[in-house]
Amino acid sequence: MGSYYDIDAILTDAQKVPCTFDLDIPGLGYLDENAGGDVPLPIQTQYSNYVAALTPHSQIKAGTRVSLPLWLSTLLAVQRLGPSSQALCTLDLPASIAPRVLAALKAGPKTVDLRQLASHYYELAARVLELFEEEEIVDILCETFKERAAEIADHAHNPRGALGEAQDFLRGLDEMERQLFRSAHGSSNAMREWMGEAKKKR
Amino acid sequence: MALPLPPGLTPAETAFLCEMEMVTVIPRQRLEGLELLGGPIPPLNPPYRTPLPLWLALLLKRQRRANILPPPWLSPPSLHSILDFEKSTPSFSPPPPLPPYATTSPPFLPSATANAPPDALPYHWLELGEMLLEAANDDIPEPDNVRRLMRDLREVRMAKMRAGVGVLEGGREVNMNGVGGMEVAEGRAFIGGVVDGLRKIGASKELSRREREAEERENGIGGGEEDEDDMDI
Repeated sequence: MGSYYDIDAILTDAQKVPCTFDLDIPGLGYLDENAGGDVPLPIQTQYSNYVAALTPHSQIKAGTRVSLPLWLSTLLAVQRLGPSSQALCTLDLPASIAPRVLAALKAGPKTVDLRQLASHYYELAARVLELFEEEEIVDILCETFKERAAEIADHAHNPRGALGEAQDFLRGLDEMERQLFRSAHGSSNAMREWMGEAKKKR
Repeated sequence: MALPLPPGLTPAETAFLCEMEMVTVIPRQRLEGLELLGGPIPPLNPPYRTPLPLWLALLLKRQRRANILPPPWLSPPSLHSILDFEKSTPSFSPPPPLPPYATTSPPFLPSATANAPPDALPYHWLELGEMLLEAANDDIPEPDNVRRLMRDLREVRMAKMRAGVGVLEGGREVNMNGVGGMEVAEGRAFIGGVVDGLRKIGASKELSRREREAEERENGIGGGEEDEDDMDI
């Protein structure tokens, strides 16, 4: 993981992934935007008092599917109530690495709009795959990244940058690819500048 | 928080380093030897060729006190044959061979003097060629042809560098022998970014591979013992 202040890591953490609750959990109803779940946080009260104050609506039922930010869902997925208990919820594969998307990536890596799927697509996928261990998906993503990187290099070489003819492709880049494009374009521009400067001095 | 410049050298810095390269000049005026921090400069006597660092040679050239003798590889036939070689193989043309006694690296190698090998591009070929082409245009035979060939060479090699990214994978590598200083400066941001991205994406696979290897190593020890048992039987 990057630095604590890495804004991209923070934004990756905030992206939502679907997960399914395996247990009835009191007090988490608001996660499902449950109408009755609006219970004030227990400030200076006993936990037992708090649980007693909960309405039946404020509990989240087993089997509910909700979209939670990555940081919360990973914690819930590994958290266990007791040594023998199961995890609070199960993580599902997010839609951005669903088989349909992967098939599209396999068929034509350059035609998929990754940004629409997730703004930090690769980082999200990498974080989720840390939990799933699907090596085939990792391979597909590596292949995709390489193919798109080659395309990015070609466009970065273009002095008009993102205003050239490939606008659609460049708009579909995820944050990591944008960074790559920016740095490649910067060094190509610096080079051009030096060459031009060298010519001016005569 | 961070340094405004990206890691690595900017083109201007690379060109500055290149100015340490020795080139051969034919002086037009006498000049006494100079004792500089970078080493002594030999006295210049008009008709005799003298090796000088590029920065001094360019200075004298601009003052019309000397002519620069371009290195042999900076001529149309040499560049042509190198370009043909570049087009025919996927690898870069090899750098000039190191002299047997060499313990130094590029700016201190005689790779741009008049007796440099004519069939190989030295480390600072791009920046040296550019600088000579614009400061000593009249000393180079067929400058327009040379300029065109240099541009072709640069494009062919940049395309190779970009194509090299496509074969990157876990343990495989791209052979970048013979890549020049300026090309490294230009390609660093992109290639570094791609390698970094692949590392991030493949992190989970790499982790499980390591775990599997560690497991296999443990099992391997167990397996070895079994084999020994078999031998006993």
